[in-house]
Amino acid sequence: MIPWSFESGSTPLKIAIFVTLALGFGLFFALMKTPPRLRPKIAATFTFLAGLLYVGIWLWPTAHGREAGDIPANFTEGVAFWLEDTQSQFQNLSNILTSFLLLMGVFSLVRLHATRVSKQQRDWPFSLVLLICVALMTFIGYWDWLTVMNMKPEELEAMRDVTNQPFAVWMKDLLFDGLLQTMEAAMFSIIAFYILSAAYRAFRVRSVEATILLASAIIVMLGLLGMAENYWSIMIDNMGGLEDPNALVNNLRLEAITQFIRDNLQTPGLRAIDFGVGVGALAMALRLWLSLERGGSTS
Amino acid sequence: MQYFDTGKYQVLFVLVMVAFILINIFRAQNKDIFIRRIAGLNAIEDAVGRATEMGKPVLMVPGLGALNAISVQALNIFAHITRTAARFASPIRLCCGEAAVFAVAQEVIRDVYQSEGVPERMDGDSVRFVSDRQFAFAAGVSGIMLREQTAATFFMGEFFAESLIFAETANSIGAIQVASSTENTQTPFFIAACDYVLIGEEFYAASAYLTRKPVLVGSLVGQDWGKMLIASLILFGIGLESSQRKGWVEQMESDPAAKTSMMRLFSPEPPDPATKPVRQKHPEEGEAQ
Repeated sequence: MIPWSFESGSTPLKIAIFVTLALGFGLFFALMKTPPRLRPKIAATFTFLAGLLYVGIWLWPTAHGREAGDIPANFTEGVAFWLEDTQSQFQNLSNILTSFLLLMGVFSLVRLHATRVSKQQRDWPFSLVLLICVALMTFIGYWDWLTVMNMKPEELEAMRDVTNQPFAVWMKDLLFDGLLQTMEAAMFSIIAFYILSAAYRAFRVRSVEATILLASAIIVMLGLLGMAENYWSIMIDNMGGLEDPNALVNNLRLEAITQFIRDNLQTPGLRAIDFGVGVGALAMALRLWLSLERGGSTS
Repeated sequence: MQYFDTGKYQVLFVLVMVAFILINIFRAQNKDIFIRRIAGLNAIEDAVGRATEMGKPVLMVPGLGALNAISVQALNIFAHITRTAARFASPIRLCCGEAAVFAVAQEVIRDVYQSEGVPERMDGDSVRFVSDRQFAFAAGVSGIMLREQTAATFFMGEFFAESLIFAETANSIGAIQVASSTENTQTPFFIAACDYVLIGEEFYAASAYLTRKPVLVGSLVGQDWGKMLIASLILFGIGLESSQRKGWVEQMESDPAAKTSMMRLFSPEPPDPATKPVRQKHPEEGEAQ
């Protein structure tokens, strides 16, 4: 079988890179010249083969206890070794494709905002800020990467003291940790206020269902509030719950009711939804793998 | 004595589900199959119509997930919404947080306008890549909603903590919200904050409901057969578990490592190291070690 990796700098590696590039460009131009009605069939074939690999990985017996340099003991193990090695290469391929697509995304973003700035459309100063930020983050990120790559181990060690940090590293920390992360944390914290307003709307008593929701939510919230739960427990203790651990009144403890609601109502409900989502995903994946949904969205 | 390799049950189970789906896709080619009403999907035309009357855009967000079955399904639903919007000449905004989804979404939306015979109505900037960072994406999409005052918003796909930011921002501008998330941690937030929510498998039923294509409808019925199988197995499991519960408790008390057949069914044990085959080493790597 064809090996997936070669020694760094070796002639076989260079030949493999050259052949892959030639094949890639050849395939690209061949696809460009393919009649449009054949293209879906080519895409369907590639999709099926790619899916088949993952089905194979899942169905084929796994070789257990594999160590570096092992030669497969039989055919079954040979296929298992190959599938295992191929999977990581497929993952690399997927990462490379994603990188290209990310470039497309950034290009679209920059084009949209550059047009807005050049035509001075509504809110164009915000677009200008975005463009400056994109350029600055890219430049500083790359500069930081180059600086750290060219540093000696003792210099890297000395960098633990922030006063010894080179400008590029300091600037990257300022922009990334000091600015971006902080702004993201601020966005995240907004959720606390949104939960309150959403809960207010959801808990308004408009129907029987909303009333049940309100009642169960209040019980669960009180059950999770230490003070409320503590005072309620004292009341249950005084009603004879403390003297007899098997007393019926112990079932009325807030933590017991809360746990009952969570274990017997909430969890089964969520699991039922999970089953539905899982089966739906399986059907969707099957339709995609077998290309049964060709033109599904646009035809 | 163990008669079956319980570790293979999951493979058998999935194969049965796959068979259910394929059989029903075949059945649906010659048979009209009923699908119950889904309120959230009926609201699509109303929401787009409202946006048209107000002269404001329709916003669609396929979530933050990578290009997978969930985002493809979201794009299928968005294709239907875009078709309705194209007929009404309503502007659309589709905001992506994942570059691969963005690339596919661009093609899907372009195809929809072309298939409707109105390619000139497509705005090249209607499909946008906003950011692949969660809260930068949340801030960007919220900004678009507030600036453009979208009249209808559709949130469908994989959402995480940003779901409530979207839903509440849309609510603050009075937009109709139709939402669905495959993440069950986010579904309650959508239920609390949105006008219509597709729960669980309704999200996957959407394209069948909207297009009534035999392949999709058959697949939906196959899913229902699968769910009936799961429900039957749960009932069967309850019976088995109840019948052996006493023995199970006693076993676990005496030997925590003891496994019942139910535990083995869902937690197959790793292979015994003693069964590892004897393998030779590659000459050069063997020497290096």
